[in-house]
Amino acid sequence: MKKLAVLALVGLVLGAAALTFSMAPDVNEQSLCNRNHAECREYVFGLDDPWYKVMVLLTACDIAFGKCMLGL
Amino acid sequence: MTGADRAAGVGVSAAAAMALLTAVTLALGATARTSGAEETAVPRLKAVEVPRPSNESDEAVLSRPLALALDENDLFMADGQDCAVKVFSREGRFVRAFGRKGKGPGELSFPSGVAVAGRTVLVADKLNSRIQAFDREGRPAGAFPTPFLPDRVYALADDVILVTGNPSGKRKGEPLLHIFDAAGRLRWEGLAASSSGDPVYDAFRNMILVCPAGGGDFYVVFRSGGRTVLRFASTGALLGRITVDGRHRSRPLDLPFKGRKKRLLGFCWAAACDPGLLYLSAPAPVDGKDLGPGREISVIDGEGRMRAVIALGRAVHRFVVEGDRIFAIDDEGELRIFEVAR
Repeated sequence: MKKLAVLALVGLVLGAAALTFSMAPDVNEQSLCNRNHAECREYVFGLDDPWYKVMVLLTACDIAFGKCMLGL
Repeated sequence: MTGADRAAGVGVSAAAAMALLTAVTLALGATARTSGAEETAVPRLKAVEVPRPSNESDEAVLSRPLALALDENDLFMADGQDCAVKVFSREGRFVRAFGRKGKGPGELSFPSGVAVAGRTVLVADKLNSRIQAFDREGRPAGAFPTPFLPDRVYALADDVILVTGNPSGKRKGEPLLHIFDAAGRLRWEGLAASSSGDPVYDAFRNMILVCPAGGGDFYVVFRSGGRTVLRFASTGALLGRITVDGRHRSRPLDLPFKGRKKRLLGFCWAAACDPGLLYLSAPAPVDGKDLGPGREISVIDGEGRMRAVIALGRAVHRFVVEGDRIFAIDDEGELRIFEVAR
């Protein structure tokens, strides 16, 4: 029973990963993600805002990049 | 010699010795006080704002001024949001603007740096990944591509162009400095970005400020981290390291970076050079625990000693210095001109 539960869990994880990566963007879209991420960071640097705000905005750029790469 | 003479002689010697001792003690005390004074007291100068003529043109409004450069006649400002270079006289009167949003010759996308090289104005055309040249009237005069998003541009000599770039955070050891010739051929690149695996923390650690030191040399100042300023030759050779006087105040800042606790040491918000001197503005506390642009500029000599502090009436983001004049961008993105009262 325990073995079955572990197998089901592994299956679920692999299934979720397969689903996610099957939706991952192609090379062109990845390139676009990279470009957008670089531009996002540059806009933040250009703001020259106080550093806590810069940290929050840079983190937001990274989250957006992660979502883009996962095709979400 | 009689006993009275000897007694008198001893008395004279004793008196002379006492006088000498007193003099030495006084001299040592004076020296100690003098060196103490040199260590702590720095002349505090006040900068008075110079009134500017009113500029009626809409083009004179600065939307997001990112860099400024001065030549013998004019002040050039790269406006990232308006995708233009705006030119002002040294008195602050609007002269002209050139550039518009686009990718073609003479068009710009988020210009973030500007420099003047003789009759040519160089612009870091960031999102077009190129350095674009204009004549002084704003006519396009060529461009060369950069394999990165250029941040600031500096004309170190007739044929030496220094371009800085912010690291992407995705690769280790990306160079922060790139030296090109006037034809756009890469001559040297170096000063590897530090990489800790936390791209946000690294972004702060790799924020640099550059200012030409004259004769083709240039200084690199890290905005956070240690008190060391690097001096490079126009070839890219590292000439030396200057440790800045402790009287220029660094301010620690704890930010919730990922992983174990990391502390930033805010060292400099903006920097400029005038022959022989380095001007560093110290970050100042804002909104409680955050750090933002400061209202004071430390004047540092070539050995790292603090020569004076200039108090400005307002916080400034970027500035250039020439003699007693400071041309600055304030917190509201306005051009301010200050005169240092000596």
